[in-house]
Amino acid sequence: MNKNLRITNSKFIDQTSRISFKFDGKTLYGFKGDTLASALLANNIHLVGRSFKYHRPRGIMTCGSEEPNGIVQVGKDPSMTEPNTRATEIELYEGLEATSQNCWPSVNFDIGAINNFFSPFIPAAFYYKTFMWPASFWEKYEYFIRKSAGLGKSPTKPDKDIYDHKYLHCDVLIIGGGISGIIAAKTAAQNNLNTVLLDDKNNLGGTTLFQNNECFKINNSYSSEWLKKEIESLNSFNNLTIKTRTTLAAYHSYNYLLARENLTDHLSLIEKKDKIRQRLWKIRAKKVIIAAGAMERPLIFNNNDRPGVILSSSIKKYIDYYGVKCGQKISLFTNNDAAYETAISLSKSGVTINSVIDIRDKSNSSIVKEAEKLGIKIHWRHTVVNTNGYKRISSIELMKLSDDGTAVVGNKSKEECDCLGISGGWTPRVHLFTQSGGKLKFRDTDNTFLPDKSESEQISIGSCNGDFELDDVVKNSNKSIKEFLNLNSSDYENLKINCSKETDKKNIWLLPSNKPLGKTKPFLDFQNDSTAKDVKLALREGFKSIEHVKRYTTTGMGTDQGKLSNMHALGIIAETAGVKIGELGTTTFRPPYTPLTFGAIVGRNVDEFFDITRRTPMHDWHTKHNAEFENVGQWKRAWYYPIENENMHEAVQRESKAARDSAGILDASTLGKIDIQGSDASEFLNRVYTNAWSKLEIGKCRYGLMLNEDGMVYDDGVTTRLSENHYIMTTTTGGAANVLSKLEDYLQTEWPELDVYLTSVTDHYATVSICGPNSKKILSKVIPDLDLSDKEFPHMSFKNALIDNVRCRVMRISFTGEHSYEINIQSSYGKSVWEKCFEAGKEFNITPYGTETMHLLRAEKGFIIAGQDTDGTMTPVDLQMDWIISKKKYDFIGKRSLYRSDTIREDRKQLVGLLTDDPNEVLEEGAQIVSETNKQPIEMLGHVTSSYFSPNLNKSIALAVLKNGKKLKGQKMFVPMKTKTINVTITDTVFLDKENKRLNA
Amino acid sequence: MLNYNSPIMNAKDYSGIKISEVEPIIKINLRGKNRDFITKIGKELSIIPPTDSNTSSGNEKLNILWLSPDEWLVYSNDKIDLKNNNSLEDRLFDQISKVKLGSVANVTDHWVMINLKGDNVFELLSSGCPFNFNDFKNSKGAVTQTLLNHVDVIIHNKNINDLNLFVRRSFSNHLWSWMNDSARFI
Repeated sequence: MNKNLRITNSKFIDQTSRISFKFDGKTLYGFKGDTLASALLANNIHLVGRSFKYHRPRGIMTCGSEEPNGIVQVGKDPSMTEPNTRATEIELYEGLEATSQNCWPSVNFDIGAINNFFSPFIPAAFYYKTFMWPASFWEKYEYFIRKSAGLGKSPTKPDKDIYDHKYLHCDVLIIGGGISGIIAAKTAAQNNLNTVLLDDKNNLGGTTLFQNNECFKINNSYSSEWLKKEIESLNSFNNLTIKTRTTLAAYHSYNYLLARENLTDHLSLIEKKDKIRQRLWKIRAKKVIIAAGAMERPLIFNNNDRPGVILSSSIKKYIDYYGVKCGQKISLFTNNDAAYETAISLSKSGVTINSVIDIRDKSNSSIVKEAEKLGIKIHWRHTVVNTNGYKRISSIELMKLSDDGTAVVGNKSKEECDCLGISGGWTPRVHLFTQSGGKLKFRDTDNTFLPDKSESEQISIGSCNGDFELDDVVKNSNKSIKEFLNLNSSDYENLKINCSKETDKKNIWLLPSNKPLGKTKPFLDFQNDSTAKDVKLALREGFKSIEHVKRYTTTGMGTDQGKLSNMHALGIIAETAGVKIGELGTTTFRPPYTPLTFGAIVGRNVDEFFDITRRTPMHDWHTKHNAEFENVGQWKRAWYYPIENENMHEAVQRESKAARDSAGILDASTLGKIDIQGSDASEFLNRVYTNAWSKLEIGKCRYGLMLNEDGMVYDDGVTTRLSENHYIMTTTTGGAANVLSKLEDYLQTEWPELDVYLTSVTDHYATVSICGPNSKKILSKVIPDLDLSDKEFPHMSFKNALIDNVRCRVMRISFTGEHSYEINIQSSYGKSVWEKCFEAGKEFNITPYGTETMHLLRAEKGFIIAGQDTDGTMTPVDLQMDWIISKKKYDFIGKRSLYRSDTIREDRKQLVGLLTDDPNEVLEEGAQIVSETNKQPIEMLGHVTSSYFSPNLNKSIALAVLKNGKKLKGQKMFVPMKTKTINVTITDTVFLDKENKRLNA
Repeated sequence: MLNYNSPIMNAKDYSGIKISEVEPIIKINLRGKNRDFITKIGKELSIIPPTDSNTSSGNEKLNILWLSPDEWLVYSNDKIDLKNNNSLEDRLFDQISKVKLGSVANVTDHWVMINLKGDNVFELLSSGCPFNFNDFKNSKGAVTQTLLNHVDVIIHNKNINDLNLFVRRSFSNHLWSWMNDSARFI
């Protein structure tokens, strides 16, 4: 039975609401308001996990986001279990199940702990040095290294939780709800600014909320009492939004910030069902006030990592806020006054304090005097040289420091304890400031990096700006806020503030020991088992930059990102290398500040909302007729329509045969359509396309190739002249948006003299394409009044028509080589016209076909698809489309590039046809083409771009790009595949109806 | 007869928000630069196209939304008669495009109009729209072209908590589905 270390004087924990939870399978109890860490400590459980490398027993060390050791696996559901969750940040809820990480079979008996005995042989960079030999063994080493790497277990099934995103815009964003954040929020809100206040805890107030010490008073009240009234007063502001349980994750340039709000993580399993778990706020703030506070530093000495070694300020929070004693015989070890606040709190709560070990010679501050008055024993100028105990600290060993603090002198004494509070001073949380691009400066007096210059509209206030005394926090914050918000006065001008002032400072980065450094384990990075020895080893081996030392030793590379370890690493490097810390700089603080779940990053962009989709007006018809869909850009295009158990090949063979033999129908609505109007529309098209447009008659259509400035094919399509100054251009499906942007860009920047206007009408029109020998008969049933004779309605022309009094445009154009028509009608009638055509075509066995058949039919005719047969490196000449380049036009986009020495090379890759020796052998698209198979290295001459089995030709056909291909027609080549080499013959690109007889059939 | 099919044909009521497709209404895209173009539009529609960015003008029948310095979207307040829905387009085309004053393009089916009404409309939009609605929500007639769940939309602030949103037809089903999914969490 575990001891209950709960006291009953906490106002923040509801001790009437008992909550059961499981840790490592054992049922335990805590109270509403507890964190997992406080509840475990209340149950006298310190050992929560094992360290990464040496598998040393580790316990809860802090009470916040900087926790390096108390990281646990939460939940057992394979879809929702979460590794590396900080016990200090998990609010206790009914049904919580947590387990220790990095241990087997249990945290109490861990086989991996054998690593600790071998630790002298596995220092920093052991892996880099050891697993290099022999090089061929790396894959074998890798297998074992991968198995031992990582902390915790990832979920193996899709996350069932719901996540969300929201955008927020405000005048002032305040990060941190401690005393300085509260002052900032109230001041901003009082001045009618749209204000948002964020805090990662479940309530506001920070550490001042539980500061009931005579030494810290504001207007004669305890600072905590004063602050509570200030927090209550915030409720009166409608223009102030307060978000608790919300962690600022990232601070990007121009005051764009991301914050994660935990909405249901603190609720019981039943309460959180069907609710959003976490929300990622995307915040744009005109001004940002960072009031993120500071972190207490640990002290670096031999065996400073045992369970029971806890930051002094955390011990204070556990006793004052959670009502939990971290031990029954507590020793405190410090280099500053903060530990005395803890000592007084513990003393008032009736906890035995062995002593305070202080490395300083003396301190005359009021808080120290208060502690002395309470009879607390203080060892001045002493240090802890060792700790004892395996799964929990049991005693410490003390020695006196030499005058210069570099060695220990005198005799060693021992002190029994079950908890050691350590305090090494304070590190301002400057992470967010630097994420935003701010530069830091170094303050020598207390060895802190502080915010200096920033490009964005922001300030840092309070302890994150280096103010660690209560009066400095209030006065300096007030002054900074007024300047920042351009205010003349505030509510915080004439406060009477009493506080203890720290009079003496002393800092030793690596505390001396009575043993040589090599015989000690002074841990810097508690999660990654990086010690001061490792850092010194890295320096000996020539690593000078903090970034290099970090990577060589893994200091600061754990899930905590070295929040506790980085400053000491810097200090030891600086001391050893004989340079100033300020000159060394820091490692880069990258977002997120604390780990984000993938769910929070993704939000509701999962399942059907993974990506946006576009549907044609006929989509429902395709679905009803069993279509399989293909993603083309964001469009869902009907791919093929399997009947019964047909696979894609069978369906495509049937569809393409039907289209050639009788009639096929295709949904071509996805093609981009751009309405072009203006007196210079013809000249515009002359400049855009490679061929000439001025003489295109009204009512006629023309195919065009559009090039990039580099002369390479960019897009293609048919453009129709509707009237003198009115055209409609079609583009490829995937290229529509880019083509419109490019053309609009040209009109606005290069050709502003042209009187031309573009309007996207892609979605306005549905396009029904019917093709095949019977297409004319079908169309004549749908539009009986339309004269479809070749004379009145020849290939590459258009007619305005009415279908049941609804206007439409009918183009006689073909992408299949068959006699074809495209009906363009307002989208709202698209499905109805499709159904009408289908009904009219039934007697001709009209067959709906999808994009796969469309590709096959056009490949039979050698028609290219921009983006499939081209890849941004093909000119029209390469495609054997020299005929489309006007020799008479003064200019068009890409013309100059067509005459560069590289583009006129004759041995460029050129489009050719391929026929396999075995007519049933279908080549793989992307397969390489070679002329010799025995040559080493083998020379790749080109690759297959389109390949199909043609049921109409009863053989395999392919298009390819091939070096010097134009001159190689009739020659044999090889396509080497994994299991065999396929023989092919180079041919013309047109496989079917070279005379174009079918177009006019 | 051909059947008319708008893509959504639905209306939903959630806590503090009603969303509904409003179709068929006529929508015409106008482009032009010179003063004669503005004058002619004003004469034909009895509304002067707004020249201030992201604003609109309107009367009982029509609204004109500013889209760019030389582009406007005209849409009707009332549903149109399907049997006679080309008259406005034809009239404007004859008066503007044919005489080389600018361009007139029928975009009635290019855009789908969704009306959002209720106290929580901006809550819904903030779930997927990066635009700052703080000033917009109090500016009757304001227009913005922005993204909603990655989809391009035009939003017209008709009245307090009463918005008309225009989305390209092909995206409309997806956006409608997303709006309904978002609305259930408000």
